[in-house]
Parts: sequence; structure tokens; C-alpha cells
Amino acid sequence: MFGYLGLEVARSLRDPRYIVLALVAPVGFYLLFSTLFGGPGTGPSAVYVQVGLMVSMSVFGAMWAVLSATGPRIAQDRSVGWLRQTRLLPVKQSSLLLARLLAALVLVGPTIGLVMLTARVSHSVSLDAGQWIALVAVLWVGIIPVAIMGVAIGYATGAEVAFGVVYGLYMVLAALGGLWMPISTMPAGMQAFGKLLPSYRAADLGWHIAFGNPLDYASALYLLAWAAIFSVIALYFSRRAISAR
Amino acid sequence: MVAVERYPDDPEAQQAAHGTMVWPEKDVAGSASMGAAVSLRGLTKRFGALRAVDGLSLEIQRGETVALLGPNGAGKSTTVAMLLGLLTPDSGAVSVIGMTPREAIQRGRIGAMLQEGSLMPGVRVGELLDYTLGLSASPLTRKRLVTMAGLEGLERRRLDRLSGGQTQRARFALAIASEPDALALDEPTTALDVEGRRDFWANMSAYTATGRTVLFATHYLEEAEAFASRVVIISRGQIVADGSVAELKRDFGVHTVRFTCADENTSTLERLQGVRQVERRGATVTLSTTDADATTRSLLASAVAWHDLEVRSATLDDIFVTLVGKQEEGGK
Repeated sequence: MFGYLGLEVARSLRDPRYIVLALVAPVGFYLLFSTLFGGPGTGPSAVYVQVGLMVSMSVFGAMWAVLSATGPRIAQDRSVGWLRQTRLLPVKQSSLLLARLLAALVLVGPTIGLVMLTARVSHSVSLDAGQWIALVAVLWVGIIPVAIMGVAIGYATGAEVAFGVVYGLYMVLAALGGLWMPISTMPAGMQAFGKLLPSYRAADLGWHIAFGNPLDYASALYLLAWAAIFSVIALYFSRRAISAR
Repeated sequence: MVAVERYPDDPEAQQAAHGTMVWPEKDVAGSASMGAAVSLRGLTKRFGALRAVDGLSLEIQRGETVALLGPNGAGKSTTVAMLLGLLTPDSGAVSVIGMTPREAIQRGRIGAMLQEGSLMPGVRVGELLDYTLGLSASPLTRKRLVTMAGLEGLERRRLDRLSGGQTQRARFALAIASEPDALALDEPTTALDVEGRRDFWANMSAYTATGRTVLFATHYLEEAEAFASRVVIISRGQIVADGSVAELKRDFGVHTVRFTCADENTSTLERLQGVRQVERRGATVTLSTTDADATTRSLLASAVAWHDLEVRSATLDDIFVTLVGKQEEGGK
């Protein structure tokens, strides 16, 4: 299983779209937004923006890391026949799927590492050692529902549309989930909707830690519910995709 | 030689390994299946109204190289897919080395090459080979596998940047990585040019010389004739002939008597002795016959105004055309 995980990670690292969207884009947006809204200052409001953005851009990049390694790729592997070919290898399909999912999560590492490093270097963002560790941990766990969503899309759609669907949902999740601008600045209706989304909830877990608040159990429950919903969808469409042959 | 070492108690396998045809008899099918490499019983698969495979039964002994021959749409790919557990038959049973197809694959006892399908995009040849070798307790080294499959110099190439022939060699490498007892190949050379096909069969022959069982689907008759110890012809999902090429020629002895003839009535020609089929292309008439001598004699005795008489003994091609007949013209 770990062998296959390595192959999947290698695929992403050779994919310019992963490099640009999961590594370059979140770092670039962090620098842009933190300069526009936070400025170079060290006052409480500037620090609030610098830290808050570090979390939201980590989630933003992490979403692309997991989505690019699941949705479009599974759809592509199905359409070019690689998935069928793997059924001839002496390995269980379930362990290959698990390896894919874990590879997607491994790819989150460089993204959040790079965003945090950028925040630290450009704005001297500082947290306790315990906070850093807890932040990385909750972001990592919090992105799992989105990764499962990617798997579901990979089985539910075809190779031609998977990239578009994934990219569209990624943008919606980022914008409405309050990753680009604080959700409090949105109209009430949008806010209520945005707060349901797994993107907001993953970031919210991170914000709680980064701003020194206790763990946010409500967000954890939301994420658990999303993970369950996406798992059911992924299971349904993966079964259907296999029996369709 | 190696077959003898591998299956010292199985005289049939030894026989088969030396190129002699083994006919599995119905009465001993039960005991024969104990040692059979592949056993398909009453396989049926429908796709909507189409019966792609229709009550197909086939037993392949260890060490046999069997060609599954048929026109497009005859059910070759469907049969191979069921043999590999990629498709579930509507009815019938499949057993591979005494196991279900899934078990045989999981244990690396059967390897397979599919007709189409890319290999993992974005990954290098060497990386995928390492991974695949690691899946089984295969004693093969990557270097050896690369040599066996003719992939020298391509290990650092990405799988999505291989040519058709190179992809096929990589597929072959994956198929043999666990050193399986049996191989199932679905039209392994369809996408290849003449040189690619020659290279493929050279690699394949080297592998199968060690007493392995091979079933390959093909529509190249010359490949069946050159590489198979046994030929199974299927048409519309059913077996229409099964035996060595020599046996097929004897049993379905279809010879051709060809001549030119301006305007002879087809029914007159059909009444000539031994004629099974009359084919007419312009002025050229080709009679397929079970007895070339008798047909020729009756032609000479008849009033048919023939020219340029040509008598030819059966080829596998003729047998194929006779057995499969016109069915292939409506093929998918």
C-alpha cells in the first residue's frame, strides 16, 4: 500500500497544476491579502489578519492538494483504463483507494508548511510550539472530508468534466467558506450557508487554535457529518462504476 | 523440460508442453479439472439483448498454449474478462488453478494483458515495475524483468510517454512480474506493427518455453498457427472448433478449388461434390470443399465453363472463414 502511495505522490509532484495551485497560489494570495488588509503593522488587528489568513490560505491550498490528487485523477484513471488494469494486480482495490486518500493527505504537508513558513518569515507570525503542532494536526484532519468529496467526484463524473466540477466546487468552498474574506463581512443568508461548508469548518478549527481558543467541537461535528455524507456518496458511485463494466 | 520438472506427475502437461494436443474428454472432465489451469463451464454473459458469451465451456490443461480465435464481437474479450474476474458471468463457473479468478490474481498465479488501457500516467516505467514486483513474493529482480520484457533503456521514461509497442512491453512486464503459472492475453498484438508483433512473440515464447499455460485471444490467424498448441474458434459466444491446427485441418478439412467462370449459376456450383460454400468475386469463383479431389472431379465432369483452375489445401484461414462464415460481417 505504501508503495502505491509513493507513486501517487510522485504523480502530483510532477504535475504543474499541483505545484501552481496547491503551492504557489496560496503563498501568493497570502502575501497579497496580508499586505492589502493586514499591512506590515504589529498592532492587534494586523496580527489578527496575518494569523487568520495563514489559516485560511493553508486550508485553501490544502483543498487543492487533496482535490487534485483525487477527483480529476480517479476520473482520468477510470477513463484511460488504469483502474481496470489495477484489478489485475495482486493487491486489493480497497487498499489502493486508501493509498490514494493517504497520498492526497501527504500532499497537504508541503502546502501548509509553505504557507506557515511564509507567514513566519514575511510577518513574523509567532505561535507557541503546542499551537503550531495542534494547528497542523487540526488542519490535516479537517481537510479529510474534502478529500473524500474528491474521491466521490472521481467516481461520479467522467474524465472530461471531473476537473471542471472539482475546480468549481473548490472555488465555491473557498469563497463562501470565508477563506478569501472574513465570513462576518457577508450578508446574513450567505453567512448561514457558508458556515455549513466543510471549508469554513476546517478553517474554523484552525482559527480557534491559532487565536488561542479551545478546540471547537461544533466544527469537528460538522466535519464528521460531511465526512460521513461524502463517504456514502463515494461508496455508492465507486460501486456503480465497478459494476458498470 | 521445465514443464516436466514443474508437473512431474501430470503426463498431460508433459504431453502438452511438447506440443501435442490434449483433448479433455467429457467423462474425465471432473478429474481433469483438478489439474486444469483454467476451467470455464457454461459461461453466459448478456449485454442487454446481446448474448456476448453463450454457454461456453473450455478446459485448458497446464502447459497448453491456447489461441482463442474469433471475429470482432465473437465474445473473446468478454470471455477473457470473465476468466480474470473483471466481469461476473450471468451463469456458469470459472476456475483458475483451482481457485476463483480473484484469488488467482491476488496470489499472483495468473497474469494478464488487456487489449487497451493506459498504464499509470505520470509514473516512470521503473517505478511501476518496482511497485509491482513488491506486490508478490516474486523472485524476479527489476533488471531481469526489464530484460524479459525488452524494456531496456526505458526505465526512466514516463508510462504516458511510451509508444504503443513500448506500452505493450510494459504491460507484458506487469503480467509476468509475479511469475504466474498462467497468462491470459486479450489481443496482445492488435496495436502493434509487424516488428512489434515479432518482438512481442519472441519475448512471450521465451517465457512460455518454461511450461506455463497461456490463453491468448487474437484475430490474427497466423499468430494462432505459429504460437498455439491448440486453437479454439469462437463465434457468437460459442465454441465452434477446438483442437490443434493439424486436427482442425483434418476435421474441418476445408480446401479450396478456385477458377474463373463467366456466368455460372451458383446453385449448379453448390451441387458439385463436397462443396460447402461458394464464393464469387467478379468472375472468380472459390469453392470451399471438404474433399478437393471429389470436387475437382465433379467439376471436370460438369458442364461448367471453367478457366485457370487452382486447387489449394486447407489453411487455418479457410477453416476460420468456413466456421465463422458470414457472421463476422455484422460484427461490432
